[in-house]
Amino acid sequence: MDKIEGLLQRPKLYDNIDGLGELGLGLFGLGWGLLEYLQTRSPLRSIWNGWRGNVWFWLIIAVIYYGTRALKKRITYPRTGFVEYRKRKNAWLYALVLGGATALLMAWCVRFAARSHWDIDGSHLGMTTPVALVALAFPVFYVLHIAGAVRWKLAMAAAMAICSVAIAMLPAGVVGAVAGSTSAVATLDERSFGAWMLTIVLYGAILLTSGAISFVLYLRHTQPPAQASA
Amino acid sequence: MNQHIQKIAELDRVIHEPGRLMIVALLYAVDKADFLYLQHETQMNKGTLSSHLSRLEEAGYVEVVKTYRGKIPQTLLSLTPAGRSAFEQYRKKLKEAL
Repeated sequence: MDKIEGLLQRPKLYDNIDGLGELGLGLFGLGWGLLEYLQTRSPLRSIWNGWRGNVWFWLIIAVIYYGTRALKKRITYPRTGFVEYRKRKNAWLYALVLGGATALLMAWCVRFAARSHWDIDGSHLGMTTPVALVALAFPVFYVLHIAGAVRWKLAMAAAMAICSVAIAMLPAGVVGAVAGSTSAVATLDERSFGAWMLTIVLYGAILLTSGAISFVLYLRHTQPPAQASA
Repeated sequence: MNQHIQKIAELDRVIHEPGRLMIVALLYAVDKADFLYLQHETQMNKGTLSSHLSRLEEAGYVEVVKTYRGKIPQTLLSLTPAGRSAFEQYRKKLKEAL
């Protein structure tokens, strides 16, 4: 019976067999981090801010989405086959509600768990520790859905967790300096913003590394059918 | 007859064969997949996989669609509603039997 349940999980794991999912997420993290860096260090009317900033953001998503799709079409499907996943009704709504509820719960938990490390200056928006620790939800998700099947990826999850803890332990002033204090952070606290920026850039770099290793291994261990039968 | 043994006797023979069980379980989790994917996941050779698919198609559990991906022929496979329901019944009966 367990073997049947295992078989039912295999198509889900197949989605990242080539590492392209992680490569896409990694590029997204780095791209978004770079965009935020440019936004914090440019005048409000620059091409990185305002509505143009949104255009850049969606451009990053579009390039990654269509880029990974094209790579799957050209590389993955001819080598190990094509899969079309079942579409759930209102899947986005479930994801939105579940994601929102999880984020709120996590924020509430760290508010109490990480109290000793906060900068208690009357402004609770100036907390770097909760921002960094809330991000720990991602390595948990990563272990459950990706690293569970590929053991060496546990090291990647551990690296992400270490990064979050390191950001949480950094002095708030250092973290705030990453975000700067111009334009985009005018309405946000720069320390929270800095912790967020560091998190997405470091997670992005780790995911990019993991995805690149998976992609190289995939190319090495699979061949298009014509070459495999030759 | 012992109830457990009776439950085992009631299992769908078409699905119960290990090769076909693998195919049906894999297709149950997706909307559709191509022949190459099933070959990669099950590690069966083309002949064996084809014969299992023919048996499942005969039973009305699998739908086979021949198409093209660019200029390359592609065989798309999916479970029919009858196939989905048969697999759900099979899992239920197997759970009861174990």
